[in-house]
Amino acid sequence: MIILGFDTATPATAVALLDGDEVVERRHDPEPGERPGHATRLLALLAEVMAEGGVGWERVDRIAAGIGPGSFTGLRIGLATARSLAQSRALPLVGVSSLAALAEPARAQADRVVAVLDARRGEVFAAAWEGRDQVLAPVALAPEALAERLRDVGSPSLAAGDGAVRFREQLEPAGVVIPADGSPLHRLSAAWICRLGARAEAAGPGTVLPSYLREPDAHPRQRP
Amino acid sequence: MILAIETSCDDTCAAVVGAEGELLANVISSQGIHDRYGGVVPEVASRHHLELLPAVVDDALARAGVGLGDLDALAVTQGPGLVGALLVGVASAKALAAARELPLVPVDHLHGHVAANFLAPSFEPPFLCLLASGGHTLLAEVRDHGPDFGVLGTTLDDAAGEAFDKGARLLGLGFPGGPELSRLAVEGDPHAFAFPTGRGVAGLDFSFAGLKTALLYKVRDLGEDEARARRADLAASYEHAIVEALVDRVARGLEQTGLDRLALGGGVAANRLLRERAAGLAPHVHVPAPELCTDNAAMIASAARFVDPLPYPAYVGLDAYATGERAL
Ligand SMILES: [Zn+2]
Repeated sequence: MIILGFDTATPATAVALLDGDEVVERRHDPEPGERPGHATRLLALLAEVMAEGGVGWERVDRIAAGIGPGSFTGLRIGLATARSLAQSRALPLVGVSSLAALAEPARAQADRVVAVLDARRGEVFAAAWEGRDQVLAPVALAPEALAERLRDVGSPSLAAGDGAVRFREQLEPAGVVIPADGSPLHRLSAAWICRLGARAEAAGPGTVLPSYLREPDAHPRQRP
Repeated sequence: MILAIETSCDDTCAAVVGAEGELLANVISSQGIHDRYGGVVPEVASRHHLELLPAVVDDALARAGVGLGDLDALAVTQGPGLVGALLVGVASAKALAAARELPLVPVDHLHGHVAANFLAPSFEPPFLCLLASGGHTLLAEVRDHGPDFGVLGTTLDDAAGEAFDKGARLLGLGFPGGPELSRLAVEGDPHAFAFPTGRGVAGLDFSFAGLKTALLYKVRDLGEDEARARRADLAASYEHAIVEALVDRVARGLEQTGLDRLALGGGVAANRLLRERAAGLAPHVHVPAPELCTDNAAMIASAARFVDPLPYPAYVGLDAYATGERAL
């Protein structure tokens, strides 16, 4: 099965092509102060991995896309792209939790893993696993509140993600183990979006929508 | 044949237009939900666009009786508008086109409003075009099919439709209250109160902020009971002032350019009084159907016929823009 997968929940634009066991990956990580490249890079990176993998649209079997939680605009660009690619080629589409994809590589190294993304406004998006079980469903909360929840369960957790790096000070006192800032464990890889997407049940494109985890701010504006 | 997508504000739109400008399908899904907030909430609008767009596109294709394989190109509104809302349309159009290696045409929303006149049967340039809606107030000199046109005047503050909505709110009507204000105005005396029409503004620009303030003071002066009793007179006089402000600039614009053809566009073009007054201004006056005056994708497809298409993959990096490439 050939899967095209991507994620736009974080400032990075991460893209991968999975063909059996072969993976081709590309990503764009914005420099500090640079805007995320979701709008301008995603389709170009997809074209690159397909060219490198020698795969045309007629050979793609499935599309997998990160559904967040994460940047609202980033998620919409990713899922508008995923839904429209699927619609254009009549392909099955799978939505994959961005937190689950982030946690996967860490789960090979520890029994208890928590994926933590910076959610802005002083909060994180987080989810945790113990062995095969999800012990904390994706949620938006203050890092102190997350530390409290992780302290409750006793044994130390391995944390991955930009939220773990940013809120190291709040999380480490609760016994959370956070790899060095530059560790690849903190970067969400689209290869894992593909692998998780391969296992999941494909749905109609219409059912795959962002997991925002937050209500919109209702600040009305005049029509532009 | 072109499939166009328009998501610049709170209407999710897709349309199919043929090579000669014939309208084959025009689907508009109005979100409505914003009325309870008293304005458009960008984040809510963007969420709805994402949810609705695939079905709206499918519906447009089905109504036109065609498939994606029958298309020559896709078109999309690139801006101006709410950038988060535009991005949903731009990302979708790019992906729909890229997966079939079809060309994509980025369209300016205002060129789209002008190009609503080019849908068959076409109202041909040269003409003067007045665009008046909740988002735009623009007097354009249209010499050809575009994408460029001359901007003779624009609003210095509120848009004409915005002035209608704000006036309606001051009179205790709902949102958007423009059409309700006009209904109420039918029973009132347009000369009961003298409201300013921005005649002091230089050139062909518009200004509606003073009008809104004048209504606010008038309602205050009259007191709650009297203002309620004379609501129809207030509405009629207020509407009269907006329409006269528009008509005044149009008349002067026609004189200045020597044009004898006039087109109206935007939601305010549906206003009965404006249409009556406009009919007397030029020998040839064209007002597209109401659903082609307000935001729609048919006008975007129509404009796309006169813009150079970007072949695949030239558009993969295409971004939306919030404010005009044009001076507006
Ligand atoms: Zn408009």
